[in-house]
Formats: sequence, structure tokens, C-alpha cells
Amino acid sequence: MTNETQETLDLTEQEGSEATSPTTEAPAAEQMGSNGLAPGVIETKNMDVFYGDFKAVHDVSLKFQFNEISALIGPSGCGKSTVLRSLNRMNDLIPTARTTGEVMYHGANIYADGVDPVAVRRQIGMVFQKPNPFPKTIYQNILWGAKINGFKGSKSEADDLVENALQQAAIWDEVKDKLQESGLSLSGGQQQRLCIARAIATQPDVVLMDEPCSSLDPIATLRIEELMLELKKRYSIIIVTHNMQQAARVSDRTAFFNVELNTKGQRTGELIEFSPTDQLFTSPKEKATEDYITGRFG
Amino acid sequence: MTETRDTNIHFHAELEALEHKVLSMVDRAEQMVEMAVQSVTTGDQETATKVIHLDDEMDKTYFGVHRDWTNLMARQQPLGPDLRKMTVLLTLNSTFERMGDQCVNIAKIAQFNEGLPSVERINDQVREMKDLVRPMIRTAIEAYVRQDLDEARLLPAMDQPVDRLNANMYKETVAVASNPQLLEWAAKMLMVSRALERIGDQAVDFAEQTAYLLTGERAEFDEEGMAGSADGEN
Repeated sequence: MTNETQETLDLTEQEGSEATSPTTEAPAAEQMGSNGLAPGVIETKNMDVFYGDFKAVHDVSLKFQFNEISALIGPSGCGKSTVLRSLNRMNDLIPTARTTGEVMYHGANIYADGVDPVAVRRQIGMVFQKPNPFPKTIYQNILWGAKINGFKGSKSEADDLVENALQQAAIWDEVKDKLQESGLSLSGGQQQRLCIARAIATQPDVVLMDEPCSSLDPIATLRIEELMLELKKRYSIIIVTHNMQQAARVSDRTAFFNVELNTKGQRTGELIEFSPTDQLFTSPKEKATEDYITGRFG
Repeated sequence: MTETRDTNIHFHAELEALEHKVLSMVDRAEQMVEMAVQSVTTGDQETATKVIHLDDEMDKTYFGVHRDWTNLMARQQPLGPDLRKMTVLLTLNSTFERMGDQCVNIAKIAQFNEGLPSVERINDQVREMKDLVRPMIRTAIEAYVRQDLDEARLLPAMDQPVDRLNANMYKETVAVASNPQLLEWAAKMLMVSRALERIGDQAVDFAEQTAYLLTGERAEFDEEGMAGSADGEN
């Protein structure tokens, strides 16, 4: 079993101190749930997300497992990206955004008082819809995240770190001879893999991906999907995708969100079903899921 | 929620057309059962030939369904109940094609048996089996079209008398064994009985596919038509 967990996490503000990289060890037997599954790496409990007075997402309770790919699917406006961004407090960057309920990461609420959102984002990396490498060299793109994380190693240690991240992101062979060239000189698919390498260089154990293939061609998309399947051996991946076939191809579990109209005519996202992917795409439990995946939709 | 609308209307129209094509095969198979048994119990060679020609048409439809199915799957990659229907249609396409083949087997025995003496008691038993098997096919069709799980579950019970008659046919054959010409004829009728028994089993398979379509659970029926042993996992 390759599951990894942290015994304790320090997500509090650490001025000037070296950020901790995850101390990992196998989950103890007593941590296993009654169903034999390891405890979730991230768990939301009755989570609501508001933008000002508008409730964007209502009462989401989800448990994401170790070493699995979980897909969030649903129509536009169902709140799946909002949910994803809530998992590493990325929504905090939106001034009106507010999250209630709990988001437990290794058993600690990331929205608790005193938790530093930046520390959260170091542990829970994110890859965005559009590749967004910095206008710096490929080498610097990778080292940046590690430096933010307090990396102060020697040049050869930095070289190793960069190579390791690029190897894991399956792009090393393509860029090893041009590490000092701009990250922006790469193709779209390569840029996205560079961004994945940058995300994992901070040694997170969860990687969030927000439609990471939506701007890529089918071949580049397949390479990212292959990479995800490889990466799940070391990380838990949560992906938002509009592409149901992509969710079906890569994910172990899929959450379907739908839009509910309230009495004020506001559209609030709700979790309808979270099931093993093979079950959700062949015999979904809920009629709303069935309607969505067969293209019958209100 | 607002009223549900179909945003995949072209695919669903194509799926429906494919479904009609597959169901046309079982309609034809039911007709072929009647004709094949008539030819083998009366020696009607013209009808036997018609059955063989109908099967040629059936084979063309079978290949056409395969072609359309592959195209539809490649283009649409359906999910959920649409995916289940696609898998069911592919299975039924083979099931109905094999029903047609069994009818051809019977028709060819009609050709082989031409001029041989016969025993009316055995002919009656074959007709009786046909009269049991045709309603099985009809019931399976209706269960599918009406999406009626309870009706689908009737099939195993309907199949039991067919199995009993098939088992009895061996005794009937042995009973005429002292006459070499009659034995030659009766041995072939034993194969007719076996073909009808297989068609009955295929009607049960059809009903099991309907149950899978409706429930999403794959299982063979037990004698009461309830889900018995599941296939696949472990």
C-alpha cells in the first residue's frame, strides 16, 4: 500500500521559519475507517460557499481518498470550481468569498483560526485551466515553489530538485537541454506539464486541477491524463473537468454537482452524487446524474 | 429545476433507430420459428427454403447493426443508461442472429428428412414446444418494449415446460429405435427439439438483458426470475 499521510500538520503562520515539508508515514491501522478505507486526505463537512450574500455552493460533504483521482463534474454554474478552490483556500483571494462548514485536511480544519492560507496552498497544490508559467526560465519556474517553501539547498541540491519535479511531470526529456530558456517558449501541453512540475516541487500531497486540459489538443490531453495516472501513486488528485469522458478515463471517484434554483431565482450548486467512477457512468444512483450524463438536462 | 430537455437529441434518435433494427430481428426470428416447425413437421420444402432465405436477410441486418453500433460508439461514447442500452443491443444482436441460425438448422432437417417416414406423436410434441417458445419470445419482446421487469421475470418459468419436453424427446426417439428409417428421422427430430430448447434459452437471455437495462445489475435469472448468480466480479 502506498498511501501516505501526515501525523501532524502545522499550517499556522511561520514567519521566517522554514516551511515544513510533509512528514509521511503509512496510515496506522486504527486510522482506517470501518469500511476498510483509509481516512480521507481532504474532507468537507457541510461546506457552504458564499460570494457576498449569494450562496454559490450549498452543504457539500465529500471525502477525498489517498492516492486516488477524484473528478468533479457538472453543468456550468454548478459550483464545482468553487468547491475545488475552497479545498486550498484559493477562494480567499476573492474579497467577497466566504466559506462555512469545515474543510478537514489530515484531520485539521484549514479554515480554523490561525491557519495561514499560504501554508495551506503549499501543501495542496493547484494547476489551472490555462497554463500559467512565470516569464522566467524553466529552471526558475520549478525552483520558485521550492524557495517559497523555504528551500535553501546547494546548487546541486537545487538541480536535483528541479530534475526530480520535471521527471515526475514527464517533461524532463523534452526540456533537459533548455532549462535556461523561458517557460513561455514551450508548447501549451508542455507548459501545463511544467506547471504540474512546479506544483509538485513544493512537495504537496494533494494536487488540485481546474480543467487542466481545456486549452490543450487531444494528444497533449492524453499526456496529461497519463501523467495524472502516474502521479496518483504519490499524490491525491482532484480534478474539475467539463469532459465527462476524461472523468471516466482517469478518475477513481466522481462527484456530480447540479444547479438548484432558489426562490429568489439564484442558482446554487449542490452535490448530487459521489460514487466510484465506473458506477456513476454506467448505473448512477440519482436520476439527475443519469439525465446529465445522457444529455437530458433542464 | 426546470423541465428536462434532451440536449443529445440526434444521438438518441440514432440509438432508437438502432434499437428498432435489432428488434426487427427478433420479430423475424419469431416468424421463422413458426415457419421452420411447420416445414419440419409437414415436410413443406417451400417453407423450409423461405426460412433459409429469411436467415440470409437476418445476417445482413446483423452485420448492419454491428456497423451502426461501432459508428455510434466511436462518435458518441454514451454513458449511463445509454451505455447500458448500447451493450444490451450488441448482445441482443448476437442472440437474435443465433435464434435465426437455430431456425435454419430446423429447416435443413426438414430438407434432410424429406421422404422419410414420421411419427405424428413426435411431430405433435415439436409443435407443442413451438407453441411454448413463441409466446416466450413475444413476452420477452413486450417486457423489453414496456420496460417491465416483472414481465421479464416470467421467462424462466415459461422455459421449464420446454426443457421438460426436450428431455422427453430422447425417450420418444428410443421408442422408435427398432425401425431404422424411423430412427433416422427421429434422431433428426431430437436435434429439432434441441434447437427449440436453445431458442427458449435465448428468450430467457433476452429477458435477462432487459433486467440489466432496467436495473444496471448483471445477473442470470433463477427459476423464479429473480437475480441469481452475478457474472464478472471476482
